Amino acid sequence: MSDAHNKLSGKSMNCAEFQERLPELFESGANVSQEEHVLGCENCASLVRDLEYIAAQAKLLLPIHDPSPKVWNYIESAIQNEHAEQKIPEHSGKRS
Amino acid sequence: MNLAIPTKSEKELTGRGKRGIFKTGDLRMNARPMQEQKPIQHMRRNPPIAGEAEAIAKAQAGDAQSFEMLYSLHKRRVYSLCLRMLGNVAEAEDLTQEAFLQLYRKIGTFRGDSAFSTWLHRLAVNVVLMHLRKKGLPQVSLEEALEPSQEDGPRKDIGERDLMLHGSLDRVALERAVENLPPGYRLVFVLHDVEGYEHNEIADMLSCSIGNSKSQLHKARMKLRDLLRTGQRKEESIA
Repeated sequence: MSDAHNKLSGKSMNCAEFQERLPELFESGANVSQEEHVLGCENCASLVRDLEYIAAQAKLLLPIHDPSPKVWNYIESAIQNEHAEQKIPEHSGKRS
Repeated sequence: MNLAIPTKSEKELTGRGKRGIFKTGDLRMNARPMQEQKPIQHMRRNPPIAGEAEAIAKAQAGDAQSFEMLYSLHKRRVYSLCLRMLGNVAEAEDLTQEAFLQLYRKIGTFRGDSAFSTWLHRLAVNVVLMHLRKKGLPQVSLEEALEPSQEDGPRKDIGERDLMLHGSLDRVALERAVENLPPGYRLVFVLHDVEGYEHNEIADMLSCSIGNSKSQLHKARMKLRDLLRTGQRKEESIA
């Protein structure tokens, strides 16, 4: 079997070569943890596990931050100013 | 109050990505047959919200209270998005204001082709990116931001001890690590891994190549691992 074939299939790759290919492997949707190099290298296996775990946890990050009340106050005030400038009457029964 | 001041079309805001495709029962106003599905983890980002469809319709007709209800329903997610992209509370609040003011001006153009939250969040992303471009700082120049200096980049992880990150990562630590990412990495990571945008959408938003987006995402994850491992080491040394 040729060196090129071995490299393509993950065989005979060293850690640097494998990590160089990692972005491409992740984006290809391949099962990276089953790559030949990973199966024989605990260091890279740990790296793959960590990167997969970070990506999975990121998807679970919830919107936990609330803006302060002044944000709405500003929005409300800005909307009122826009209406005043455009002289558009309020619809809520204020028309005479 | 008349809220409908059309400016930019819904398609321009949402792009042509795959987001916003929902199962039967969602609150889109003109739901189309589902052709593609996002993974479940992304589906949960836009769950049906009770009363939202009615509030949208009323806000489009000019009802101020309904607009306020939409703000209450979406403020947390829009603000969190701004904060994660910017890493700065004051700027995040300013841009949350700007995003909702734009919503106020553009809500009349929302036709329901995508989920409202998808549309709103794309609007918010555009507001943040516009702000970053205007700032003219290193983090604003997307080309520069997408190519942080070498010292910001991840180290090759060869022969380093495994810190058993797997299974022990808490989300507070991840939030903190995301805040500490270089701006270019943070943008791509938040847009892709947190918000669920595809690389082609991100490339379009950031005016970079798809390959660049993929490369930056990988570097961001590597940098996050680095930051998290450093955090773990510190905790271990304190304990």
